[in-house]
Amino acid sequence: MAASTFCPALLPLLRINCKFNGVYTRISLNRRAAYSLGLTASNGVERQGLPERGNQGQRRQRRAVEPRTERMTVDQDWTAVYPTAASFKPNSVPLPVRMGYPVKRGVPPAKKGNLELIKIPNFLHLTPEAIKKHCEALKPFCTEWPAALDSDAKCEEHFPIQVESKAYVSAGPSLRNPNARIITLTVKLSSLNLDEHARKKLIRLSGERYNKDTDTLTITTDSCPMKQQNYDYAMYLLTVLYHESWKTEAWEKEKTRADMEEYVWEDSPSQKNILETLLRMRPLGEKEEEGEVREELLGRVEVQEYKDSVTKLKNEGETETNMQQYKEAVKKLLNI
Amino acid sequence: MWQIMNLPRLYHRLRLTARSLHSSANGQQVEKVAVAVDPDVPSQVSVFRTSENDPTCHTELHAGQYYTLPPAHMRTLFPHGLPPRFQMQMKTFNEACVMVRQPALELITCLRKADYSEPALRYVLYGEKGCGKTLSLCHVLHFCSTQGWLVLHIPDAHLWVKNCRELLPSSSRPGRFDQPIQALNWLKNFKTTNEHFLSKIKTTQRYVWTKRESTEEGRPLGELVDQGVSRVKSSSDVVGALLRELRLQAGGAAEGAFRLAVAVDGVNALWGKTTLKKEDKSEVLPEELTLIHNLRKMLRNDWCGGAILTTLSQTGSLFKPRSAYLPMELLGEEGFDNMDPFVPIPVSNYSDKEFESCYLYYLDRNWLQHPHSRTEDGKKELIFLSSRNPSILERLCAFL
Repeated sequence: MAASTFCPALLPLLRINCKFNGVYTRISLNRRAAYSLGLTASNGVERQGLPERGNQGQRRQRRAVEPRTERMTVDQDWTAVYPTAASFKPNSVPLPVRMGYPVKRGVPPAKKGNLELIKIPNFLHLTPEAIKKHCEALKPFCTEWPAALDSDAKCEEHFPIQVESKAYVSAGPSLRNPNARIITLTVKLSSLNLDEHARKKLIRLSGERYNKDTDTLTITTDSCPMKQQNYDYAMYLLTVLYHESWKTEAWEKEKTRADMEEYVWEDSPSQKNILETLLRMRPLGEKEEEGEVREELLGRVEVQEYKDSVTKLKNEGETETNMQQYKEAVKKLLNI
Repeated sequence: MWQIMNLPRLYHRLRLTARSLHSSANGQQVEKVAVAVDPDVPSQVSVFRTSENDPTCHTELHAGQYYTLPPAHMRTLFPHGLPPRFQMQMKTFNEACVMVRQPALELITCLRKADYSEPALRYVLYGEKGCGKTLSLCHVLHFCSTQGWLVLHIPDAHLWVKNCRELLPSSSRPGRFDQPIQALNWLKNFKTTNEHFLSKIKTTQRYVWTKRESTEEGRPLGELVDQGVSRVKSSSDVVGALLRELRLQAGGAAEGAFRLAVAVDGVNALWGKTTLKKEDKSEVLPEELTLIHNLRKMLRNDWCGGAILTTLSQTGSLFKPRSAYLPMELLGEEGFDNMDPFVPIPVSNYSDKEFESCYLYYLDRNWLQHPHSRTEDGKKELIFLSSRNPSILERLCAFL
């Protein structure tokens, strides 16, 4: 009923619009319709004028234009069609793409009027051509790659610590992106000067950050607000880890067998068992001392083989081949 | 393929000839006849049964063939030892036929060659579920008993760590638990198996059971066993004493010397977890059970004059996944360290030849009733469905 309240005031305006500008006829038609809904008596005059103007409006309807894809050549410059990230425009992309869940015994819907295609992110603005153009545009701002570093190995050798950071550029109310403060520092432990104890301690201290397969330590810092601060913090962490792993604390002496990273045969129950068995097999003579006999027994080839097979079993896990090896070693040792 | 098609005919011919020669035959003659009758048939396709029933004489030639366990021995040797499905098969077929397979032969050769003045050797049979570890063990035990050894057979160690109704605190030692029913059953079976040894072996120490009961030094072992059978409360301690006596006296230099075969099926139960709970609902550890404790002492190789034959078994085990079959998986760290050094002997599924023998045996016993199972295609189906696993094959054929 809003129409009825302001219609009298607008009436002279509408009439003026009709006369001067053909475009506004449709709008005025709508308004007239609203107007005509609200009041009945005073509309009689205007209603007579309606049919004429309706014909004019219908003749002025937009004709369907052929899509731009029809006029695209195969070797056109695609970077001009999609210079920046933009939503999917079906009439601009000359590909017969289909997307969506098909109705029963149908096919996925076509691209025309397909909301699914519009919703998803597309990379039509990042074709290899476009990226080449970006690189060409960035080249004036870059320095040359040093000629001496022509292989990965050399890079590794001269620059063992690799620091990664991301910079973000986007247009928005603010230029800053909080994700730009994250720093990732990777270093291979083989390039650090560590002895056995230091290496094991470093691995234990770094925990999840160490990758055994590639022997790399990865430190990711994001606790400080600025990139520079995070970089300093990451370097500080690396320094601390290195120095701490070289120190030996007093309580490290209490390391038990259960804490060991890998199986060590010396002083294991397996060694004790085999020594006892061998001693029982040939009992101690009168002049022989136990220590010497132990050394002699441990030095035998069969015992060494047995030791290798047991260590392999425990460290690498059980497989048929390991079991076979163990069996052979035991048979040789016990003279079966 | 024509060779396999000829099998039923060949087999019938051989059976007739075998019967005619049976009165005077020993194993070799039957096989010679087999070779003579059809010399162009390759030696893989041969008789599936051998009449060599003495495990002492089993050799590589008999591999893949079935031999019959004499029924007279059955009751004494295996009062509790055979797997339940095999016992059902025995009742159905009216005979106990065991296949001679390579792992058992290997074990028998090792036992024959071993030096019994040295500490007891430990053998562990391992393999996937249902591939014949328990039956191989029974075969080897048959061999041991024909050689006159004393057989100490614990049919399934898992039975001692689960489903125990009565768990009594031990009378002799605080902190330990007795299992009177299990100990009683085992003592009864032990008595059946080793009747003739019980009067010969004497105790070396005085054992006091209660204030009024004790067994003196020098009494025959039979009395010790009777003590355990009659007084159920102290049966677990009796088992401990019995094991100790046997350990001390096996392989001695005296004329009453005997060799001891300790056979434990499901040895991984000794170092696993139990499902028994104490009164305050806390879990009972295996070492707190008297039977397990004494058995562990038995499995150490600090005694000589015998052998320790064990099998790993996932079937009755507690808290182990179904796919576990390798020694370290089932024994665990502790078990491996205790059993080390041992000789692991893998038992695998049937080979082609063994599968042939099994198939022919079932045909012979008219166990495969379905007409399709007698065809080539049926046989291939059986191979595919069971992947040559003995127990799965047996269960499949039971439906046919």
